[in-house]
Amino acid sequence: MTAAAPASRRPAKPRRSPFVSVGLGAFVIITLISLSEEWGIGLDIGSLLEDIGRGLPIIAQLLDPNWDFLPRVIEPLIETFQIAVVAAFIGCAVALPITFFAARTTVPNRATLAISRGILSVVRAIPDFLYALIFVAAVGIGPLPGILALIFFNVGVVAKLLSETVDAIDTGPIEAADAAGSRRTQMVRWAVLPQVLPNYVAFSLYAFELNVRASTVLGFVGAGGIGFLLRTQYQFLQWSNVSVIIICLFVIVFAIELVSIRLRRRLV
Amino acid sequence: MIRFEHASVTYPGGVHALKDLTLEIPDGQMLVTVGLSGAGKSTLIRALNGLVPLTGGDVIVDGISVRQANGKQLRELRSHMGMIFQTFNLVKRTSVLNNVLMGRLHATGSWRSLLGWYRPEDIEIAMQALERVDIVEKAYVRAANLSGGQQQRVGIARALAQEPTILLADEPVASLDPPTSHVVMRDLQRINRELGITTIVNLHFLDLAKIYGERIVGLRAGELVYDGTGAQADEHVFRDIYGRSLTADDLMGEARPTPASISA
Repeated sequence: MTAAAPASRRPAKPRRSPFVSVGLGAFVIITLISLSEEWGIGLDIGSLLEDIGRGLPIIAQLLDPNWDFLPRVIEPLIETFQIAVVAAFIGCAVALPITFFAARTTVPNRATLAISRGILSVVRAIPDFLYALIFVAAVGIGPLPGILALIFFNVGVVAKLLSETVDAIDTGPIEAADAAGSRRTQMVRWAVLPQVLPNYVAFSLYAFELNVRASTVLGFVGAGGIGFLLRTQYQFLQWSNVSVIIICLFVIVFAIELVSIRLRRRLV
Repeated sequence: MIRFEHASVTYPGGVHALKDLTLEIPDGQMLVTVGLSGAGKSTLIRALNGLVPLTGGDVIVDGISVRQANGKQLRELRSHMGMIFQTFNLVKRTSVLNNVLMGRLHATGSWRSLLGWYRPEDIEIAMQALERVDIVEKAYVRAANLSGGQQQRVGIARALAQEPTILLADEPVASLDPPTSHVVMRDLQRINRELGITTIVNLHFLDLAKIYGERIVGLRAGELVYDGTGAQADEHVFRDIYGRSLTADDLMGEARPTPASISA
């Protein structure tokens, strides 16, 4: 429509914001302070080179997995898998409605936004390990406290990631739904949800993957799964047995990743 | 009947988008509003269905005040007004039919719509709306896979599915090529005539306004500067509305007619 503007009417190129360079500089300075002996952790490269040999026998055992141990791994591994599935299913289902109260685009009012974001921050600030400790104390040893801990963990992660996705969607369809006289829930269901569904599936699979990995920690406090076996083998310095457990976990996490990639490709 | 009574809209930034507008639109009329970008055309339409709140005066639709309507009353008002957008505003990732069914949300309960269990009669209404704009064969195609003209026809079908008494079209052809623009404008004209739906269309191409506007309203800097028939609107009138001489850019016509040819 319009012809190229004459050079004199072109605006000057805006100056680059100092934000990036200042931020990068601050990051470098903090890193250097953290490394210094006086104020920081005092990393000594020399001792790293001197002592590295001590770990070699452990690494040698890890590289030589004891496959006879495999039958004892199967049962707790299945329990870990089941804990992870149940927790991911419930956690992600609970996270979905909460998401829309924690996203600027869909929240009814600012107060609701502040409250739901505040609650989610607290939920996320508590580590899964602590949830497990609390629930083991409350309901006793076994898979149940593990599931409860992971549900809280998953709600925090999925609601956070998905609400940020919701805030980045195309708002045109929302205007269309409003103009058609739809209620907020209807608008969310038909103008917002279809746009974020592939992300929701991806985040749910990611939560499931995190759950499998978290099981190593949960078992340490008696919240069920493979972690308990991992702890005993590690306490008795049975590194060849630990190696089998780690390989099994790796296979599961890798398999989930493969399925997740395929699902995402079909959905997007 | 629609009545603007000294309606004003001032945006938070201090821009007066609509100044003391008084206008009466009888049922069944095809009204075209023209004016430059920023003259207040979009604001006029959005003030009518409450998407933009009034800061002065009022708009009365079938005896009901838009300004005083609360949430529920506003939804009820909006359910009678179908809206068509410049950029279509379809959910591109979902099917054409799901997009059109958005026009039935006002008649569907919350639980039903959450689960996607639309009633068969609502699906029938949506299908008929698609038939009316001649695109029903694409009902189960993803909206993203349609051309611009097809997407806009889906947008019209969505508005029709509301079974509205008023259609609001905000620059409905600004994203389309000239031949497709005429198809869409003829669809709107046909709907207006066959169904007797009051239709308000914002346009910035003057030749289109003259062809399709039963009545033309000109806006300039938020103020009403012309109100008359399409036939009366000649080059001088448009010069008043635009505040300058017409150029080829103000006309869409495939052959780019000269400014003089619109006064013929």
